[in-house]
Amino acid sequence: MLSIKENRAKTQLLWIGIGSICMFFAGLTSAVIVRRAEGNWLEFSLPNWFLFSTITIIISSMFLIIASNLIKNNKQPTSYITTTFLLSIAFVYFQFKGWQELTLQGVYLTGEGSNVAGSFLYVLTLAHLIHLVGGIIALIFAIYFSLKKIYSKDNMLSFKLISTYWHFLGVLWLFLYLFLKYKQEGSISFVFNNILSQKNYICNLIFTV
Amino acid sequence: MGHHKETFITKYIFSLDHKMIAKQFLLTGMFMALVGMLMSAIFRVQLANPGESSILYNLLPSNWVNEAGGLNPDKYLALVTMHGTILVFWVLTAGLSGTFANFLIPLQIGARDMASGFMNMLSYWFFAIATVVLMSSIWVETGPASAGWTIYPPLSALPQAIPGSGTGMTLWLIAITLFVVGSLLGGLNYIVTVLNLRTKGMSMKRLPLTVWALLITAILGVLSFPVLLSCGLLLIFDRSFGTSFYLSDIVINGEILHNVGGSPILFQHLFWFLGHPEVYIILLPALGIVSEVISVNSRKPIFGYKAMVGALLGIAFLSFIVWGHHMFMTGMNPFLGSVFTFTTLLIAIPSAIKVFNYLATLWRGNIRFTPAMLFAIAAVSTFITGGLTGLILGDSALDINVHDTYFVVGHFHIVMGLSAIYGMLAGVYHWFPKMYGKMMNKNLGYIHFWTTFICAYGVFFPMHFLGLAGLPRRYYSNTAFPMFDGLSDINDIITFFALAGAIFQVIFIFNFIYSIFKGTKTTKNPWGSNTLEWDTPIERIHGNWPGELPTVHRWAYDYSNPNSDEDFIPQTVPLKEGEEEH
Amino acid sequence: MTSILVAIVTLLVVAAMVQIVRVSELLAELKKEDVNEVTESDNKTQSILYLVIGFGFLVFVVWQMIAWNDLLLPEAASIHGAKIDALMQFTMTLILVVFFITTPMLFIFSYLYRGKKSNNAYFFAHNNKLELIWTIIPTIVLTGVIIYGLKTWNETMNMDLSSAKYIEIHSKQFGWTARYSGEDNKLGKSDFRLIDATNALGVDMTDNNSLDDKITREVHLVVDKPVLLQFRSQDIIHSAFLPHFRVQMNCVPGLITQFGFTPTKTTAQMKQEEGEDFEYILLCNKICGSAHYNMQMKFIVETQAEYDAWIAQQKTLGQKLLTQR
Repeated sequence: MLSIKENRAKTQLLWIGIGSICMFFAGLTSAVIVRRAEGNWLEFSLPNWFLFSTITIIISSMFLIIASNLIKNNKQPTSYITTTFLLSIAFVYFQFKGWQELTLQGVYLTGEGSNVAGSFLYVLTLAHLIHLVGGIIALIFAIYFSLKKIYSKDNMLSFKLISTYWHFLGVLWLFLYLFLKYKQEGSISFVFNNILSQKNYICNLIFTV
Repeated sequence: MGHHKETFITKYIFSLDHKMIAKQFLLTGMFMALVGMLMSAIFRVQLANPGESSILYNLLPSNWVNEAGGLNPDKYLALVTMHGTILVFWVLTAGLSGTFANFLIPLQIGARDMASGFMNMLSYWFFAIATVVLMSSIWVETGPASAGWTIYPPLSALPQAIPGSGTGMTLWLIAITLFVVGSLLGGLNYIVTVLNLRTKGMSMKRLPLTVWALLITAILGVLSFPVLLSCGLLLIFDRSFGTSFYLSDIVINGEILHNVGGSPILFQHLFWFLGHPEVYIILLPALGIVSEVISVNSRKPIFGYKAMVGALLGIAFLSFIVWGHHMFMTGMNPFLGSVFTFTTLLIAIPSAIKVFNYLATLWRGNIRFTPAMLFAIAAVSTFITGGLTGLILGDSALDINVHDTYFVVGHFHIVMGLSAIYGMLAGVYHWFPKMYGKMMNKNLGYIHFWTTFICAYGVFFPMHFLGLAGLPRRYYSNTAFPMFDGLSDINDIITFFALAGAIFQVIFIFNFIYSIFKGTKTTKNPWGSNTLEWDTPIERIHGNWPGELPTVHRWAYDYSNPNSDEDFIPQTVPLKEGEEEH
Repeated sequence: MTSILVAIVTLLVVAAMVQIVRVSELLAELKKEDVNEVTESDNKTQSILYLVIGFGFLVFVVWQMIAWNDLLLPEAASIHGAKIDALMQFTMTLILVVFFITTPMLFIFSYLYRGKKSNNAYFFAHNNKLELIWTIIPTIVLTGVIIYGLKTWNETMNMDLSSAKYIEIHSKQFGWTARYSGEDNKLGKSDFRLIDATNALGVDMTDNNSLDDKITREVHLVVDKPVLLQFRSQDIIHSAFLPHFRVQMNCVPGLITQFGFTPTKTTAQMKQEEGEDFEYILLCNKICGSAHYNMQMKFIVETQAEYDAWIAQQKTLGQKLLTQR
């Protein structure tokens, strides 16, 4: 049983760590912005696989939110955390499919035909994926703790930390996805317009499926 | 505090106790300082006697020396690269912050230990492994990284450009990644511990300046070190995966490389975004230590506590927006150059405030000259000297003729190599009794100080003149240009003081090791200090205080307070009736 | 053999130091003193040392300024360089004044306020007025420095280049090559992919502007005529440093950088002032590999007539192409 002070301290450790990770991605995204302004920048459209992975990771977070509520009612949310875990595997799969489609489109990480625009995309998504692997390992721990019936309303710090980190990965991915999709145009109003049109697309997708 | 059986491993190797981890950082830092110093002795010998052999070269791997016994030019560059890397990161960041943040933060705020002892232990071991990786690069066939500690691509990306940019550079990148991870783990701990684990009564306004400095340094670190990782990641891709983030339009050794569209300047922007805050990560803890040592040994409060905290915050904030002053000559838009000149010269203001406050602290004090105090005063002197030449380097128009000359080498050595190192030494001498329960020998300390003070200024002050004479840095030899022939006397003087200074450090090492085992036992509070660390048992225990944690009633600087007959009033002493807190 | 000797000497030195320390500790024990306590006499000694050695340091500084003054670079040999030198004089004077006031203060305070049992320190924790004074004064002074500095920077960077001669300076490991732009003052396009044994600078010969370009291994400039140097690198970052003209600019692969200036003193004039051995020189000033310390090209500033004679002797690329066929 950790004291309130220790609870708070461990939570802050995570948040500051998240801040550091944000600075890492800020470095990479600034590099994109600066480099793009210099020209010789390949424009290409983002494969739909990345839209699927975005939806997947958002849904996976929702399951963790449900799990959190369960714990607050002193129930073990094993199946929900497991669902998140499975969705995370789907996310990884979609990322790889996205990369595959990019190479089919002629957008490569490296080599003679590559352009730095493509290289940046690969590096950014790869960097996110590496941080995600850490999150997946944490999810496995959460499943284990849940199976051992450790979680309760008064003992859920590790779950809170794991789910905070997981939600962060989702938000980070959302930001990266929007950044990669809209860095071409770069204007905020255009971004908003596009978010709206994406919403229509998503609705169409759901209805047709 | 649970009683667990301590083995040698849990006590000395994988300790979770912040005091032991601090000593691990200190010893590793001191060892690396000796390595870095030895490297500088070697390359200074080359500069004084270009192309000639020297017995010092026997310490180097055999392929670093040619048949005539002289040092190979690319290995000279390997030495300056490793010297810079070791001293900037291993000694002055990990050795300084790692030691004193770990040792002092929990003690001075009245906590049992850091927020996460486990993360703390990890932070040291990442650092230790990084050390092994970096040192191993020295014995690699093609040699260690040789593109300067600033590792600008394309030089650092192309092994064809210089051999050290092969395996040696890869190992450097791995070592730095491990180092940064360790640093971040530490920094997270320091911030969270100060914010959450202060004992009852220890408000932020009652924190000793040392803790403020270490806290702000940690914040600088968690915000800026990750950008070095992003910078390094793109370099790793360029080196090993053929991308073109930094590389473009290259024909080398007759080979036309495929890279198109990269920008070496992008690297510099990302690198210096860390690089500049990094030098304040180095300086601020030293200044925090100096504040403490000067105050205790003047028997006076540090002058202008609030202004000192404000100055620390001002320096920290400004440090994020001055990085371009390292890049004035890259062909950047002149307007951008103007912006960076403006912000850089602004940073002189909080720095000046700190200097004047130190002077005001000494004024009408009752100064006790412990070796620590001697070093603290010298740190102020070198901060003045080195800081002032910053005004020239920070002015873009003036930088045109001094950029990358010995003028800048003199500047950064005086502020980092002298001021920050003096702060670190002051810290070691001052807190040695708390760390080891023994006193360091005072007379050896005096001899160490004066020999170092004289030799150090003898090494670095003349460099300003070399720079104003047009001599570039990172030159293997000055014999290729007749215009530098007249400078050989100055080079001889510098090398003389460098070798002498290096040898005199033996006195410190001897004193340090001897005193750990045979030093006279200390009293609980040998310096008559107010801060909480002196309230703990001499023998040091896990959890720091044997009973309850102390309660704090006042700030840390009630020295010679006229309201009391006592020479000093520790922070734990309650206010007298009718006494107002300062 | 040497290493054994070194090891023995080290052991002996360490043993000697141990004995010295033990003796001083025993003596102190005999005298019932604490060997490591800082006494009033220690304070006196150390404070006097700070005064003496401190002032010795200041004397050393002054000595260096006098003894080595002649070794410094001569007066700038360009228009903007003279402005930079004036700014340098101003800033240097300013920092020397601050240095020679604050540093002695530090040493004098250390001496004056050395610890004595009879003394008490003065509890002086803060004074807002003083803080304001030494915040506002540096701010005002620095504002002046900034304005002056930015003015000089602006004038240096925004030279009127309408009548400047365009010269490309090409850098690589480990040498410099110059390409004059010819009569049209336009340099022909270049591409790194065209670099080979016969076309060291990768000049695009299909571009008409290339035909009258001239490649040389030294640079001749006409005194009092502006010139725009355009810098290229074919491999890694170099930096073109012309210290006598107060010119420096990085040479970055993938990028063309430039620096424009007007030389004001001929080489002949400089030889008279500085000695027969004087030459204007271009050095590399960014770490670039093993021969970084020996990457140089001669610059000569001369009269229009001398320059015309020299440039007439250089072959254009068009001519070279003809002779190759």
